[in-house]
Amino acid sequence: MRAVITGITGQDGSYLTDLLLAKGYEVHGIVRRSSTLQRPRLDQQVHDQSIYGKRLFLHYSDLTDTTSLRRILNRIVPDEFYHLAGQSHVGLSFEIPESTCELTAMGTLRILEILRDLSPSPRFLHASSREIFGTPICSPQNEDTPLNPNSPYGAAKAFANQLVKIYRDSLGLFGCNAICYNHESPRRAENFVTRKISIAAASIKLGLQKELVLGNIDSSRDWGCAPEFVEAMWLMLQQPTPKDYILATGKTHSVREFLELAFQHVGLDWKKYYRHDPRFQRPVEPENLRGDASRASIELGWKPKTSLAQLAAMMVDHDLSRLEQSMLEK
Amino acid sequence: MGKSALITGITGQDGSYLAELLLEKGYLVHGLVRRSSSFSTGRIDHLYKDIHENPGLLLHYGDLTDGQALSNLVLNLEPDEIYNLGAQSHVRVSFDQPVYTLMTDGVGALNVLEAARILNQKKPVRVYQASSSEMYGAVLETPQKESTPFNPQSPYACAKVYAFFQTVNYRRSYNLFACNGILFNHESPRRGETFVTRKITRAATRIKLGLQKKLFLGNLDAKRDWGYAKDYVEAMWLMLQHHQPEDFVIATGNTYSIREFLQMVFSKLDLEWQEFVEIDPRYFRPAEVELLLGDPSKAKNSLGWTSKTSLDQLATIMVEHDLELAKREKHNQSFQQ
Repeated sequence: MRAVITGITGQDGSYLTDLLLAKGYEVHGIVRRSSTLQRPRLDQQVHDQSIYGKRLFLHYSDLTDTTSLRRILNRIVPDEFYHLAGQSHVGLSFEIPESTCELTAMGTLRILEILRDLSPSPRFLHASSREIFGTPICSPQNEDTPLNPNSPYGAAKAFANQLVKIYRDSLGLFGCNAICYNHESPRRAENFVTRKISIAAASIKLGLQKELVLGNIDSSRDWGCAPEFVEAMWLMLQQPTPKDYILATGKTHSVREFLELAFQHVGLDWKKYYRHDPRFQRPVEPENLRGDASRASIELGWKPKTSLAQLAAMMVDHDLSRLEQSMLEK
Repeated sequence: MGKSALITGITGQDGSYLAELLLEKGYLVHGLVRRSSSFSTGRIDHLYKDIHENPGLLLHYGDLTDGQALSNLVLNLEPDEIYNLGAQSHVRVSFDQPVYTLMTDGVGALNVLEAARILNQKKPVRVYQASSSEMYGAVLETPQKESTPFNPQSPYACAKVYAFFQTVNYRRSYNLFACNGILFNHESPRRGETFVTRKITRAATRIKLGLQKKLFLGNLDAKRDWGYAKDYVEAMWLMLQHHQPEDFVIATGNTYSIREFLQMVFSKLDLEWQEFVEIDPRYFRPAEVELLLGDPSKAKNSLGWTSKTSLDQLATIMVEHDLELAKREKHNQSFQQ
């Protein structure tokens, strides 16, 4: 089986790569060209000569670059296409709304257009987001909840989400939206709050950092574990018919709770190190974000198992060992 | 009041050396960085770490293709100098991504010039455009100087030619202090690893420590004029301090083949390069630039700039750095077992 992944260098992309390689797939990743070769999440696989160039291949392209995308896809002829790439930071989308739209909204349309002409057409997974519900009209949210985005990121994802549906219903593409609630891991980018916290807990414990500055710690989210989410994405493409699925734990927790768990794990009292900075607050804070993943549970047999405490522990332990190792190397 | 500068491509080789230079000179330095969920600031992390002692470096998210965001940024920051170093900078890759390369290297430069033009109406700004010896392509005279006609042989070179002429056009049409640095190849320990000199020093040092067996290259007979990036960013700064905007060739005035560079590098490690190098046609250019040799006399006479580092010295600098890297890699490997 052959799969293409956009956003392969990101958190989900790297876990999906692990999963698909383990299942014996040939994996092709799309990467942006940069003069730095930093792809830390893929380091192990890329440097493994039994994998890279044999079952894992990386290709230069960009979500705005249709001609090279088309050429690459015509050459590879994948069975499955996982579209995970985009400008993925909600807060930042208020500062770079045009780029966010170009990449996340238009980029998805471009890909759908290319896939439409491919024969045979691959099964297509779009990483959608609970941000499409914005401040939701009801709680919990399911696949039929109306869209109501309140960020440029949410608006872009909503556009992409709608298009996938249209290409599925009107043009016969096997396309699915994975409407993902927040999902974290040790590979989460450092400017997302859970990872910012786990790094801070580990750094403060090791005396490398003095304080942690955050925005609104009472804001709450439905936080899952990324490796479990990518497994659901794969399951979605193995079904007989294409559908949209909410992927979520169904439980919400506040940033405060995550702070407590992370700092407790290293025996510290978070209140001694936390400082508030209004700069990190969102212009509009989404509320009542809780996903109802019963369709995924019933039809895919998918059940997220990692509790918030386990997630916090996993992330803090990873950052502790990483920081300890780099201290040794100095 | 100190001066401020905006650097696009600050995460790249030149951007990082230029940032260091300007910070040493007391500038407030702003950098433009593409947003990614992986951090790309490896080359400037050491500058950023000292943020409390060195508040002179600020990074902003943006993209050369996002003209609006760029204009907003320039109008808000009001830098005295803008160095447009950001680009899709790999010639071979440009054959695979020709449209993207033009949008970033060509139209991106235009976006910078447009933003500068509008700022200039309010407050004077000076713009440096990173032009390239690749524009000379299949060279029409040797050595190449400022008056040598361009003959680009790649989508990268074509995009750079476009940006070059737009820069000249904005200088003439709008009285904007905008100039082109026509830099010949310039290397360093921070060079991207897919560029041949760095590819060679990385491979040779890893081969020396038993971490790698072979090095695959393309055309070994291509000749280039190679300088040290750290020397070259100083020329960029000098161009913006000059009394008038002009275009300058920045080069060493010497040319060497890849074969000769291989020989220099491997012999510093007591190895015979022929035992370890194999040719892979994948690395051949669809259209090859066989020879580049620059004439930097204008820069010497007008700016007082000359290249200070010979190719042999450059090879030593890069080999020493990459040997350390390879040693650490080897140490970590044994540590993890």
